[in-house]
Amino acid sequence: MPKPRVAFFDFACCEGCQIEFTNYGDPAFLELLKHVDVVEFREAMSEKTTEPIDIAFIEGSFTREADRARLEDIRRRAKIVIAYGQCATTAGINALKNHTKDYKAFVYGQDAGMPHLDSQKAVGIDQAIPVDYYAWGCPVNKYEVLQIVSHLLHGKEPVIPNYPVCVECKRRETICRYDDDDYCLGPTARAGCGAPCPADGIPCEACRGFVDNPNHEALVKVLTKRAGMPKGWAEEKSRMFTANQRGDAK
Amino acid sequence: MGRHFLKDQDFQAFLRALLKAKAVVGPVAKKHKFVFARLEAPGDLRLDYDVTILPPKKEFSPTSQDLVRFDGARFEGCVEPQEKILFGVHFYDVKALDMTDLLFKEKNDDRNYTAHREAATIVVSNIQKVAPRAFWASIGSEVKPKGHDAWLTKISGGYVFETRTAKGEALLQYGKFVPATEAQFRAARQANEDILKKCPEKLQGSSAEVAKKVRAAFSREELWTKFAKDCFSCGSCNTVCPTCYCFDVQDWWNVDQKSGARTRTWDACLTEDFAKISLGSGAAENFREERAERFRHRFMRKSAYLNPKLGGPACVGCGRCSMACTADIADPVRVINEILEA
Amino acid sequence: MTKENIFLPQEAKILRVEKTTGLERIFTLRLADGSSLSFEPGQILEVGLFGYGEIPIGVASSPTRKKTFDIVVRSVGRVSQALNRLSEGDSLFIRGPWGKGFPLENLRGHDLLIIAGGIGLCPTRSLIQYILDRRQEFKRFILFYGARDPQQQLFAHDLADWRQAKDVEYHETVDRGTPGWQGNVGVITTLFSKTPIEADTRVVICGPPIMFKFVIRELDKLGVAPENIFVDLERRMKCGVGKCGHCQINDQYVCTDGPVFSLAQIAPLEEAI
Repeated sequence: MPKPRVAFFDFACCEGCQIEFTNYGDPAFLELLKHVDVVEFREAMSEKTTEPIDIAFIEGSFTREADRARLEDIRRRAKIVIAYGQCATTAGINALKNHTKDYKAFVYGQDAGMPHLDSQKAVGIDQAIPVDYYAWGCPVNKYEVLQIVSHLLHGKEPVIPNYPVCVECKRRETICRYDDDDYCLGPTARAGCGAPCPADGIPCEACRGFVDNPNHEALVKVLTKRAGMPKGWAEEKSRMFTANQRGDAK
Repeated sequence: MGRHFLKDQDFQAFLRALLKAKAVVGPVAKKHKFVFARLEAPGDLRLDYDVTILPPKKEFSPTSQDLVRFDGARFEGCVEPQEKILFGVHFYDVKALDMTDLLFKEKNDDRNYTAHREAATIVVSNIQKVAPRAFWASIGSEVKPKGHDAWLTKISGGYVFETRTAKGEALLQYGKFVPATEAQFRAARQANEDILKKCPEKLQGSSAEVAKKVRAAFSREELWTKFAKDCFSCGSCNTVCPTCYCFDVQDWWNVDQKSGARTRTWDACLTEDFAKISLGSGAAENFREERAERFRHRFMRKSAYLNPKLGGPACVGCGRCSMACTADIADPVRVINEILEA
Repeated sequence: MTKENIFLPQEAKILRVEKTTGLERIFTLRLADGSSLSFEPGQILEVGLFGYGEIPIGVASSPTRKKTFDIVVRSVGRVSQALNRLSEGDSLFIRGPWGKGFPLENLRGHDLLIIAGGIGLCPTRSLIQYILDRRQEFKRFILFYGARDPQQQLFAHDLADWRQAKDVEYHETVDRGTPGWQGNVGVITTLFSKTPIEADTRVVICGPPIMFKFVIRELDKLGVAPENIFVDLERRMKCGVGKCGHCQINDQYVCTDGPVFSLAQIAPLEEAI
């Protein structure tokens, strides 16, 4: 049986999630190559393909109507489409621009009028094409991606957690950021990363987005009560990676 | 069994000999908190700890544990117990282990837990420092700890070491123990009694009253909705609980795509998907869909449902859930006392 | 050193696969070591494939039919989808049987009514076959079966037999008819008007959670006592051995204390029905 054909594509993103894939740096990545045939992956090879694909990893947000045709073409050719990384799943950090008007002038200055810089609202790629699976995170967790690929190679739906990061902090006996006089978005953030940030003494910023039913009201309460944030700041705090998942999404 | 005494100046030598002979797990510092960990040196042991982040249950039921390993069509179990000594366990955690011992053994003996448990020697330490949310003095006092092999109590000038089993006796060979005097034994008993008066939190009812009233409050939905309003469904209260033992099981493949394992991982009934099943065609049934239902389930399990089986509540008053709950709504003392007052 | 490990499965060979509806397949199995599986109607198996996991499935054939046993797998999740890709000659892995099945001692010598909705026919088929094989041990035997529509009906051969059979009073209905369907249309409780039911009849109910309340209300009207009503409950029985906690109702584990309970037994348990 031929090996499944895997390809990587990118839209509005930093391509960091693709770099993450090459970051295995250990035999795991090379071993995986025995089981898949990577046919397009511009971080690591120059070949491209217009042929059918078994698994398409699409990184980046859908921000320009002009990208729709390319997304649709990938969808047509791919048996399985994975929204790869937070930009692709919910537009992650890119969606912050949905809440501003002057971003172009602010970022590009006098070049703001250049036509190729034109873009609209940042949304996940599922707003343009149907997506089969979501690999959350900024960046993705490479071990989780390895499991996603393993599962798909066996025709099994990947297992992606729908519980908060607190579960993983507690399992590894990380001292809660709130007990260290800090703040943390972990109580509403989707786990699956293994909670490395709080273990390193850094708050969780919910880079994998929210769990399915986050208790945002309670989050605002603990951010004000326990982390001492002013109310307005506490209400805005979770937006960095969840702008399109919040109640005030544009 | 016997009552022995070890002088302060001989304690480090005892630990050193013990560590040389056996794998010893005890409370160690993690910044300003404590965790049970393998002792590398006698100085690591912190018997002045108040409570650990996770209970010692993790030594027998690790947070993640392979149940079956497979390679193609071949498969094998993974019951690989290792002899170890748990040194410095507080009495409330022994009570919790007594419960998980029973629950893992009853009906279908789960060797993945019980084999590890049988390979362990447990030494209790008296509580030298009280955790800020502890209430072990006022819950389930009718249930006494029984799964330990020895009980160590710090008194002036040294330690009283009471052995309860042959496994406990076997530790005597590692230290310069002498028979404890009656005065030393009394001092130890006094120390263990005195500490019970120092719990910062207190339940306002007996186990039987609590069970009855909490159970009777089952259908007061407005009450549970209020209690659970700020619940994140994060399961922290479950994950740190010494008597919680639920787990999820998932299979996964190694990168060779041929071998892999069936692994169980601690699960939490407060998390949203815990009681959810898929019915096909995208439909699902969640038997405890609401936060309040899941919150209530924990209180029922801890204070009422299991009492006939366990002889008392499935809560030992360690206060871990109260401390772990970010929203600070999990404290059994506050919730139960409010129900009792109503 | 290791006593029996409750998580180690045994291999079963697939002798036959029959596609029934769009979602379900019937597997006829035999233990790979040649021994016959000893079980009671209503008991569950944990059926699995390495790498995919395990799911609880009630045995769908009677222990009176030796050597082989049947299970029905509905494609709803990771494990069931993988199982339904298997074919004749393949292996799968089972643990069990676990739990308490239908209380045969309580049913013998009485009128019997079995009410099966949807996939609830699978575990009850084990009991139905058992009764038909030992028909003289039971009195009147009535069977109600409800499906969503005619295409969702399981065990077409069995249904054809039961429609003709003299030793079972078989009544069926579908929630929605389709062109060509000549039978009853309506929810399962509409079948109560088809035949008189005596108050001391023993009743077995198995079906989707929503069905229980309505059926029990009808039985209550007929004066059937809760201790004579037996329900086969569905929950997330992940481990099958009363440990993992997912199927808990109150202090009961559906996988080991059930899945069959008398209504009297679970009436005091909050969240059961």
